[in-house]
Amino acid sequence: MVQWVTGVAVVLALAVAPAQRQQVLVSAAASLADVMATLARRYEMQTGVRVVVNTGASNTLARQITAGAAVDLFVSADEAQMDAVRAEVVSGTRVPLLSNQLVVAVAADRPRRMRSVRDLLDPSYRRIAIGDPAAVPAGVYTKAYLEKLGIWREVSKKVVPSASVRVALATVENGATEAAIVYRTDLATTRRAMMAFAVPLPDGPRIVYPAAVIATGHNRAGATRLLAWLQGDQAMKVFVNAGFIRGR
Amino acid sequence: MDGEIFEIAVFTTAAALAATVVMLPPGIALAWVLARHRFRGKAVVETLASLPLVMPPVATGLLLLWLVGRRGPVGHLLEPLGIEIVFTPAAVVLAMAIMGLPLLVRTARAGFEQVTRRYEQMAETLGARPWRVFTTVTLPLASRNILAGALLGFTRALGEFGATIVVAGSIPGRTRTLTVGIYTYTETGQDARAAALLVVSVALAFGAVLVANRLAHVD
Amino acid sequence: MPTVAQDDVPRFELRFSLTQGAFTVATDVDVAARAVALFGPSGSGKTSILEAIAGLRTPQHGRIVVRGRVLYDTDTRTHVPVRDRHVGYVPQDVLLFPHLDVRRNITYAQGRRAHVNVPDLDQLLGITTLMDRKVVGLSGGERQRVALARALYSGPDVLLLDEPLAAVDLARRRLILDALIAIRDELRVPLVYVTHSPEEARAVADYAVVLDEGKVVAAGKPRDVLP
Repeated sequence: MVQWVTGVAVVLALAVAPAQRQQVLVSAAASLADVMATLARRYEMQTGVRVVVNTGASNTLARQITAGAAVDLFVSADEAQMDAVRAEVVSGTRVPLLSNQLVVAVAADRPRRMRSVRDLLDPSYRRIAIGDPAAVPAGVYTKAYLEKLGIWREVSKKVVPSASVRVALATVENGATEAAIVYRTDLATTRRAMMAFAVPLPDGPRIVYPAAVIATGHNRAGATRLLAWLQGDQAMKVFVNAGFIRGR
Repeated sequence: MDGEIFEIAVFTTAAALAATVVMLPPGIALAWVLARHRFRGKAVVETLASLPLVMPPVATGLLLLWLVGRRGPVGHLLEPLGIEIVFTPAAVVLAMAIMGLPLLVRTARAGFEQVTRRYEQMAETLGARPWRVFTTVTLPLASRNILAGALLGFTRALGEFGATIVVAGSIPGRTRTLTVGIYTYTETGQDARAAALLVVSVALAFGAVLVANRLAHVD
Repeated sequence: MPTVAQDDVPRFELRFSLTQGAFTVATDVDVAARAVALFGPSGSGKTSILEAIAGLRTPQHGRIVVRGRVLYDTDTRTHVPVRDRHVGYVPQDVLLFPHLDVRRNITYAQGRRAHVNVPDLDQLLGITTLMDRKVVGLSGGERQRVALARALYSGPDVLLLDEPLAAVDLARRRLILDALIAIRDELRVPLVYVTHSPEEARAVADYAVVLDEGKVVAAGKPRDVLP
């Protein structure tokens, strides 16, 4: 009986969020986990402010915010999820922080040459993996782009919608599909897939990773300062090194 | 071994243990009520108790998020007390406990159903009040099953992912469990790290099974 | 709580009707006796009567009074719960708690008004040597003695015994019978004794109730009503 009571007390003690003044809680899309971890460390070293990074699928992050989670800064992988939480966004703070580039990836040991995305119509591409257009931001952009080119209907017959970009890449790596349409930053994570074609930025969809200060957080001032730093040259260098593009 | 890997392993095990402790009193109570009593709405209670087993874990996670988020029925009561559950280790423990509870209830219930009422009646004829009957006769006789149920709950907690990631997030050093870590690292291409966590998960699962077997043979 | 004076013979009023499924037991017994035998073939309802006194079964209507205490009365809506009836119940299968050793079984009853203490029990039933044994390894006779000790330890108003010698081998039966008689006379605990053996009934009881298919067909002194 005593142990049970003690256990509950410990759990409740853990529940009380630790001192929030000197920390900024950032919810960032999963694809940013690595780069945000690096930036968080650097920021803390420079300013002494602790940056706590929570990562996940952007739609999950959005739901956490609408449920009232005390997030200070939100960096989403697409505009739709940021729109979904617009009621929580501190007005005037939303910025297009980053952008990305769509690329076509193929297995590294079976390189192919592509001159344009239309090459995917060729029957030698039997299956093409993309992030699920219903849920994954990269998939949403891919579908929009292919629609704009007028080839979505044809290509969609070969499309294998994947739960995440990582999964899409995996199917290419192990040969289940001939090509995958992913972000450039995703390719950086694997050696077993390589780029066959990069959609030129002026032609491609306008991919945006919006960032905004969230009203439900405990440290609005800290979030504003962090966001400003993330847009600065030092942070941007880190983003670009990881394959991201400065937001426009 | 990488410091972070070790930290994640220790945190996950501790959280799973805490979750097992947390789920025991309500689990045993629920199992006993379902085993011994007939009442209106019993079917509803049984269904609710099985829900986390049947629903997709993410759906359970969303439900929990709504419940204990600051806007939710429970969350907004706790907020003025300075207690926030979302994004804390407590959320991890909560998700683990909720997901493990149905397994514990099922197994413990079978244990109680096996305890013949006649022993309880004998205790009553000797003057024991209901609580004493429960703690000195019913519980000990069902203890083997309850322990098995607790072990099931513990292993379920260790492997819990869908609900945890929704209500606790993935915060390194605070709420990143083994399963959530594997997911996050895989998503960002850090396969080596993911593999290391996988190895630890398997080792823990082995350990749990060994303990279970040892307990099953001790008489 | 009414105490029984040394010379008072305990009174039993067992007038009730108990139906379970297709089977009905009806009794109409009002007697003062130190030991009542319930005699009849198996299935005649003897065990049901014992269970009704203990409170484990509830008659549809009737009255149960033991030594001046009303345990059940449909007219006044009295229904004393099992734990407050102060009965010492020894069923046919004895039901020793399997997870407790002999000592813990015997001393299970706590906080009762009067404990029969362990030395007395030992003198009667010879249980000291069994105290640290596990229930699992006991012989039939040993189990019976432990069960009796457990029931007596709680200081009951009456001992309810269901075929107490059935599981005991012939050689030891006399010992247990003697112990029961000593309990009846020296400890002054009255017995309600279920049996299908006329010899046992004659040895122990001063009043016998003969049952057949749930009905009382005869009642009186054992030598008068028993075969």
